[in-house]
Amino acid sequence: MTTLIPQKNSDLGELADRVRNSLVQVTAGRNGSGSGVMLSADGLIVTNAHVVSGKGRRRSTGDRLQVTLPDGAVVASELLAKDEGSDVAVLKLERPDGKLPALYPIEVGDSRSLRAGQWVMAVGHPGGVAGAAAAGVVIGSGPDLPEAPGAGRDWVAVDLALRPGYSGGPLVDHRGRLIGISTMMAGLEVGMAVPAHVIQEFVAGVLAGQPTQSENDAALV
Amino acid sequence: MSTVLPDFSDALADAVASAADGLVRVEGRDRLPATGIIWDAEGLIVTSHHVLERDENINVGFQDGESVTAELVGRDPSTDLALLRTSKQGIKTPDWADPESLRVGHFALALGRPGANVRATMGIISALGKAWRTPAGGPVDRYLQTDTVMYPGFSGGPLVDAQGRFVGLNTSALLRGVSITVPAPTLERVVRDLKEHGSVRRAYLGVGAQPTRLPDAVAKDLGQETGLLLVSVEPGSAAEKGGLFLGDTLVTLGESPLRHMDDLFNGLGGDRIGNSVTVRTLRGGELVELTISPTAHP
Repeated sequence: MTTLIPQKNSDLGELADRVRNSLVQVTAGRNGSGSGVMLSADGLIVTNAHVVSGKGRRRSTGDRLQVTLPDGAVVASELLAKDEGSDVAVLKLERPDGKLPALYPIEVGDSRSLRAGQWVMAVGHPGGVAGAAAAGVVIGSGPDLPEAPGAGRDWVAVDLALRPGYSGGPLVDHRGRLIGISTMMAGLEVGMAVPAHVIQEFVAGVLAGQPTQSENDAALV
Repeated sequence: MSTVLPDFSDALADAVASAADGLVRVEGRDRLPATGIIWDAEGLIVTSHHVLERDENINVGFQDGESVTAELVGRDPSTDLALLRTSKQGIKTPDWADPESLRVGHFALALGRPGANVRATMGIISALGKAWRTPAGGPVDRYLQTDTVMYPGFSGGPLVDAQGRFVGLNTSALLRGVSITVPAPTLERVVRDLKEHGSVRRAYLGVGAQPTRLPDAVAKDLGQETGLLLVSVEPGSAAEKGGLFLGDTLVTLGESPLRHMDDLFNGLGGDRIGNSVTVRTLRGGELVELTISPTAHP
């Protein structure tokens, strides 16, 4: 036996810890909660639109949601925008006293050049287990994956069971860089994530003040 | 942090990339395409029987983007394998791993090409066992199970080792709920039969049998506890022509003892067809020797 596996275990633990620093819990009323990931040091958070919507509950821009930070602090946030079509929502932490606790935004990786077989880790709160991690590989990415929901949509497919609660949380590469947010399962054993570039484009649009489709739910199909 | 994780991630993706041109897309059903393995440089492709829902109008798509029509050479439902012939010449054939190099616990990747690009899932070798027989009766040289996810369209694709070398062909149809790989020696045998005969040939006696306990004295003499009691003998069959009767208890076929049904299955390979073989049977307390010439399995 070499020291390879102990070394790998140690690195895995370190990587999971680091990603957990950027992981938040988004509470959507009493109907449940999901995960979210910190995008910027001034409090931008992305998650899935279906996480903020909760079960059958409509939410619109300007609504307030509770966010639990990695240190356990519970902070209010405002829903800046959501798009049911791409299943992305953007929240902004509020700072009632003008200050925020130290935040650790995640580094964003390149989700357009993923390779089949490359290693990935998902971190989230599956079934209420806080900060859980799962690791696997990229099955494939892009718009032509078999049995991917939504024709023509970009996805990252991974061989991980991304159970409810992982939704909205970060999927990262071997250096802890965000390559997508965990979104749903396709079948019993395959996880689907919205790629980081889709999230970045949406967030850039929101910050530039572009109207999102979410206001009239035009993308809800 | 060390470079273990980046190295590991790159090594996995490199293994997939190096194996990618050895697998093809197989379009032989109305829904999702499946996968096949390039068998030789003359354009033969081995794939899963169950992903070919038709015998004609089959297309095969290569890594370079070329798509060609394929002719069905033959099928073996018992091992869920099928052989296709394409006109594509001079293609690179995959590197195969030494079957003896596999160990339980080794990393392995299942690959597929249901679309244009290669897809991958990762796992470990979960079980390596002895030769086994599929529920459909096909002999497989080694039991090989992994915990890789069989993504839609992965049937017919390869299991590869951490270096991207091919280990066998994955199928989701032989056993439910587990990822089974048909190992290379079985592929070789079935491909050879399909190439020569269009099917996997089995020898046939025309008997129904069940294991039964031998009388103590006979058991001691023969050194075997059980034989195979004939419960039916088909009229006109090799068994009837050779003089076997209902109620006979077969104890040997050629040099091999017949203790269990598997012994009889294993003794009736294609090489027995048309070749006389000596059978010993217990009849009325006496051992009787007969010569039988098995026919081809109908």
